[in-house]
Amino acid sequence: MDTITFNVRRFDGEDAWNQEYSFKRQTITLLGALNMIREELDDSLCFTQACRHSICGSCAITVNGSAYLACETQLDELIDTFQTNYFYLAPLNNFPVVRDLVVSFDEKAEKMSKVMPWMCPHEGRHDHKQSEADHQKYQQATDCVMCGCCASGCSELRYSNDNYLEPFIMNKAYRFIRDSRDEKGEDRVKIILENDLWKCLHCNQCATKCPKGIPVSSEISYMRRMALRMGEDKSMGARHAYCFRDDLIKTGILNEAMLAVKTEGIVKCAANRIPFTMRMVLSGKMNPLHVMLQKPVKGIDGVRKLYEISQKMDKED
Amino acid sequence: MRSYKYDILIVGAGGAGMEAALNASKDENLSVGVITKVFPTRSHTGAAQGGMNAALAYRDTTDTIESHVFDTVKGSDYLGDQDAIEFFCGGMPDLAHELEGMGVPFSRDENGDIAQRPFGGASHPRCCYAQDKTGHVILHTLFENCLKNGVTFHDEYNLLDVATDENGVQGVVAIDLRAGDIVSFQAKVVVLCTGGFGRVYWTRTTNASNMTGDGVAAAMRAGVPIKDPEMVQFHPTGLSSTGVLLSEACRGEGGYLINNQGERFMSRYAPTKMELGPRDLVARSIETEIKEGRGFGEGMKSWVLLDMRHLGAEKILDRLPQVRELAMKFEGVDMITDPVPIRPANHYSMGGIDVIDPYTCATAIPGLFAAGECSNISVHGANRLGGNSVAEVCFFGKHAGIGAREAAPTREFGGTDKLESLVESWEACFKKMRRKRSGTHIYEIRDKMAEAMWNGVGIFRDAEGIKAAMATVDECIELYKNTHIDDSSKVYNNAFMNYVELGNVLTIARAICMGALDREESRGSHSRSDFPERDDVNFMKHSLVTLADDGSYSIDWRDVKVTKYEPQERTY
Repeated sequence: MDTITFNVRRFDGEDAWNQEYSFKRQTITLLGALNMIREELDDSLCFTQACRHSICGSCAITVNGSAYLACETQLDELIDTFQTNYFYLAPLNNFPVVRDLVVSFDEKAEKMSKVMPWMCPHEGRHDHKQSEADHQKYQQATDCVMCGCCASGCSELRYSNDNYLEPFIMNKAYRFIRDSRDEKGEDRVKIILENDLWKCLHCNQCATKCPKGIPVSSEISYMRRMALRMGEDKSMGARHAYCFRDDLIKTGILNEAMLAVKTEGIVKCAANRIPFTMRMVLSGKMNPLHVMLQKPVKGIDGVRKLYEISQKMDKED
Repeated sequence: MRSYKYDILIVGAGGAGMEAALNASKDENLSVGVITKVFPTRSHTGAAQGGMNAALAYRDTTDTIESHVFDTVKGSDYLGDQDAIEFFCGGMPDLAHELEGMGVPFSRDENGDIAQRPFGGASHPRCCYAQDKTGHVILHTLFENCLKNGVTFHDEYNLLDVATDENGVQGVVAIDLRAGDIVSFQAKVVVLCTGGFGRVYWTRTTNASNMTGDGVAAAMRAGVPIKDPEMVQFHPTGLSSTGVLLSEACRGEGGYLINNQGERFMSRYAPTKMELGPRDLVARSIETEIKEGRGFGEGMKSWVLLDMRHLGAEKILDRLPQVRELAMKFEGVDMITDPVPIRPANHYSMGGIDVIDPYTCATAIPGLFAAGECSNISVHGANRLGGNSVAEVCFFGKHAGIGAREAAPTREFGGTDKLESLVESWEACFKKMRRKRSGTHIYEIRDKMAEAMWNGVGIFRDAEGIKAAMATVDECIELYKNTHIDDSSKVYNNAFMNYVELGNVLTIARAICMGALDREESRGSHSRSDFPERDDVNFMKHSLVTLADDGSYSIDWRDVKVTKYEPQERTY
């Protein structure tokens, strides 16, 4: 493990290739190592950087597919995580690549404008007050440095069309939705609904990859609950969520056989799902009798109690 | 040649640039464009942690604007222009409210008002803050408001030169880094908001890697003097390998400074206060240890140790969790088990483009304005107070925007001859640098300059040391004429940009040397061992260093503007 090798995905605007750089293992940040490569091995290796203390968000790249802010990542940490001295470096996923590890954010800023990422103060707000308790409701969301790590890890963005919003855009919307000074919270929720709010897979990659530890997927859940409270409960996503909830209270176990029917409606489901369901049944993955009979699980009272508590927490939030 | 035309062109999209853009575009008849080296939220305004001074008198009802004025004058060691300081401090309370109204998520006090805290050099707690990320949230709020108002940004368009003729500004020439095109921006008014130049000291600075004074150097090439370039602020505890700032809280909580003999060397310099001595004394003590061979490492990579281990894990985790995390992340050291390598670092450039009208931020060239750290207006004089930088950036950014908005209708578009000739010469330069492979490499010249500047015009200054630094800088300027890079790409040629930036820091470094040599006194951050006293008779004056077309430098002086406060001894 004395020699470290970076296999870097390179791109010059036309051609792409991979290039290896090796150097002696040392205590150094990922960004420090990239700068060392530039200064000692290859001046033409391109990446972006500025503050080198994780506030400007310039230097996010992927290592073995995972996004990292290069300036705050120690090489030792990567060795420890991946148990190797050979790393694949590439630009962030789900961004247009300009050159080597450099990506463009311009398109994302344009997309962000959709959610009105600015404060829309209440009409008639003339003072400059806000309680500290209200401030705390959104202050963590303002930690976002727009580095793009969340968007790189987002499983939905990988497959979605252009409609789905990057997690940092969702976070920006959430930041204003929770700000007591702002009055357009519900409008933003409606906009995000139109942008596939319910498509989030809850893989939690956005939150785990965030260098600032912002719980983006919890914020997305909050916006979904808010959408339901606003009466936006007819979409497939909403019906899907209600299935989970109803089954949970009723039996404590998800009725998979009915899930698709309730979510998509009987007609659509019949058209879409019958061959798939038949295969599931035939291979023993699904018991068709579950459509009819399912008994509450042992400890259902506890499950129902937990649900009540979560409802109470939601009201207090 | 690709060209653009705006009534007002703003260069830079940090706090000052975006404030300028928002205020300039309030006149709908004017077209406003912004070119920026980085995506706006990457700008260095975001690095400001502590807060923004405004005498709102929420926390302390006895605070007044006049007190803020006096603190700033005194902090500047009487080199700040008092009319500019009065204008600035007088406007800050309204501006703080304005920013709050735009959405800045300030921390709050028990009444729901903007929270304020005490800060160095301030006689009342007037520093408005948002946790430890004040600059960050202000930067993002300004960006949000720019999106709201449809401000046109050209991201990663880097300034190369300002074009001027006898009628004033013609516009600017920039490189579209992604396309690799040299482009021209014709404008009636240009506002430079390009930030400071801490990278004159390269790794020994807390500044971002792109803080290379591009606007300052371009203004100098256009004939505008740099004012008080010798006034450079240092911080005693930067991390050794990167210069990232380690909070003063470490010393406050009882950390020891240790040399390679294992001694708590502060006993030599401040036997009673030890590590809690004032910033400049601690910084000089660390550098003395290194100079006299009691540091670790070599040259620019030397350090001393900050030892926190005796505090114990519990206290460190309780009182300094964020500082510990910072040292682990950026230096790879856990202060619970190991001492942290540290060294002083450059922190802020008080000097900058000579602004002659604080109310509009105009320079002597018609149509050319400047605001933010690239400018010298001068409110910081010889030493900037904590909490006055984000404040200055927003306040004067705003007034530069208003100044530009009022000036633009009074000006016609100028000629394009100077723009065209600059584009042509930069195109030739870009072509050459992509192919040329001989000469001294840019990194070698950069390191040579930074080391000379650190040793001669850093924390210790005397005539001999400054002259030695100046000679090395001159040598570097010669080497630069025949330098090379190793990147032939047209697309996103970072190496070429580093080449341009090196030219800019060299231009400024030479001016810093000149100001430091000719200012034969000690004032604020400028500390001369051969002239240890402040000299109000001869040096209540701004130095003005001008670069001539033939590459020669000259210095001139201008009296400080005094309204109410005659100089007194500066004690705290």
